[in-house]
Amino acid sequence: MLEIINLKASINKRDILNGLNLKINPGEVHAIMGPNGSGKSTLANILSGKNGYKITGDLKYKGESLKDIPVEQRAQKGIFLAFQYPLEIPGVNTNNFLKTSLNTIRKARGEKEIDTLAFLKLVKEKANELGIDEKILSRQLNVGFSGGEKKKNEILQMKILDPNLIILDETDSGLDIDALKTIADGVNSSRSKDKSFLVITHYQRLLDYIKPDFVHVLSSGKIIKSGSSELAVELEKKGYKKIN
Amino acid sequence: MIENFKINLKEIDKINLINQDDKNYRIKNLEFFNQKGLPTKKDEDWKFSDLREIFSKNFKKIDVNNSKPEENKFRLIKDFDHNYILLINGRFIRSDFKFEDKNKIKITSYKEENFSREQSNNSLICLNNALSNEGYNLLIEKDYKFEKVLVIYNLFSEDLSHKILNNKNKITVNKNSELHIIEYTVNRSKDKFFNNTYETIILGENAKFKNISIQAGRSEGYFHKFLNGSIKSDSKYSSFIFSSGLKFNKQDIKIDLEGKNSYCEIKSALFLNNEDHQEIKTLVNHLVPNCKSFQKIKSVLDSNAKGVYQGKIFVKDIAQKTDAYQLSKALLISENSEFDSKPELEIYADDVKCSHGSTSGNVDENSIHYLMTRGLTKKEATQLLINGFLKEIINDIKSDTIKKFVENKLEFQVYGY
Repeated sequence: MLEIINLKASINKRDILNGLNLKINPGEVHAIMGPNGSGKSTLANILSGKNGYKITGDLKYKGESLKDIPVEQRAQKGIFLAFQYPLEIPGVNTNNFLKTSLNTIRKARGEKEIDTLAFLKLVKEKANELGIDEKILSRQLNVGFSGGEKKKNEILQMKILDPNLIILDETDSGLDIDALKTIADGVNSSRSKDKSFLVITHYQRLLDYIKPDFVHVLSSGKIIKSGSSELAVELEKKGYKKIN
Repeated sequence: MIENFKINLKEIDKINLINQDDKNYRIKNLEFFNQKGLPTKKDEDWKFSDLREIFSKNFKKIDVNNSKPEENKFRLIKDFDHNYILLINGRFIRSDFKFEDKNKIKITSYKEENFSREQSNNSLICLNNALSNEGYNLLIEKDYKFEKVLVIYNLFSEDLSHKILNNKNKITVNKNSELHIIEYTVNRSKDKFFNNTYETIILGENAKFKNISIQAGRSEGYFHKFLNGSIKSDSKYSSFIFSSGLKFNKQDIKIDLEGKNSYCEIKSALFLNNEDHQEIKTLVNHLVPNCKSFQKIKSVLDSNAKGVYQGKIFVKDIAQKTDAYQLSKALLISENSEFDSKPELEIYADDVKCSHGSTSGNVDENSIHYLMTRGLTKKEATQLLINGFLKEIINDIKSDTIKKFVENKLEFQVYGY
């Protein structure tokens, strides 16, 4: 699904990623853990196609290099990033946005646009699963949403757009335990053999609910250790410093 | 070139049905205009819109329009029920108040005696005083609330190349009455012309007036309108300006809050593109205590467009408990676009609440990135953000059908580029 080969990235001449290698097969859930400043969010940004970074090495998605693929085409091909800080977009109705987004992606896949009725049914079903109050979907996108609502809205978008590679960038930050469980349930119910997840997090807490197949420790822009889900437990006990 | 643009006094002879008094008044005004000429940036009120320069760049000649328009077919808006007034080239053609009690409404074409004769220093007002002979006078009797909105179709015909049109309108809404109008400009002229309007609005006690001004489409027209509003106690004046798509437009709005507890709001959402140049200039005079005014102007500028907001709030010494607010926000999409803002407060009372602010900036790159990660192209994401930025103003329109109508027009303006 995803292969990252010797990825180096810098921004404003500051090196952030220093030769990162990672391979994610279809159906796998990988977690990346690391202290602040280790390059976790940079990795998420680069996978999404955000510009501003100077990059060497390669990213391959379903065997195809992503290097020259712009942001929107990555999304259309099935890459989804759930943001750590979802942006507030004033004046843009959440439902309308979701529909526009879904139709753009369906069009790129060669599917027919979804009609309003079918769309509303889909949104209703997915929103209910995540315990999202439907009222917020007629409000402006993320404007005035609570932290939990914003994160749930990201997972809702994931469910509606039905991507193949899902990157969760610190989706657990700022969530209470109930919201965390709901979101984890939302992710777990989406797990399938044709979907892969890259879960980026500070804490092991999220991984109690979303069980990863592999855990990697990111430090100074490199993966310094990989292991099974037990590695997360070890990290939580010892802290990042003792891992090297 | 028309750098020394002057108008022959003989033009006044072509205006019918005026007595010697009227004629002398017009001559005086025209002489003043000819002496002062079109306003330039040396005039404080025209600091950011040098009309003389704009005209000398864009007009090789200008003539006074004397031809009488013929009524030709036009399409009524089908989106909602409405009454209407039809103007062609500023001339009152006919009206239809089929949803209203006609005894409560008086409408006539332009009449000399309807306008007071203050001497103005504004050369465009003088030009208007000298040459206006078209327009309408609408009066709503007291205690009457309109059932449906009144659309004023402001049609400009095909044969207006390089013409100047001057007209005067007056709307009076008497005590306890309510009127909601949509000023809908439809332009058929493919060539440049200049429309110079002077409008008076008088709201009696506890009257409510709402105006939405909007264009049917892009136009080569140059527009200037001076609006003189007089608001009595407990009355409410509300104006929405959505006049995108004009080559040049300056709305010069003066509102006198003359009665206690009166309220005035001016809101605008503009999308300016190409070489468009628009200015909204306001002067809100708080003349008595306990009045409130609110202004919010949002502009999006692309290509070489230029937008200007000059907003002044004046609070007289006796106007205690004034609550006045003004805010201008501009979104600049192109490096070549320009937005100038000059908010001004002149306050002589000590127990007032006045605030003003002005921001201008680019479209937020992070927001664009966010939307693009959901499959939208950069262009689609930008358009969505622009639309959202302007929509805040549109969302204040209460009627859903009218809101939808305005939204469609706006989307056409935003997505149509």
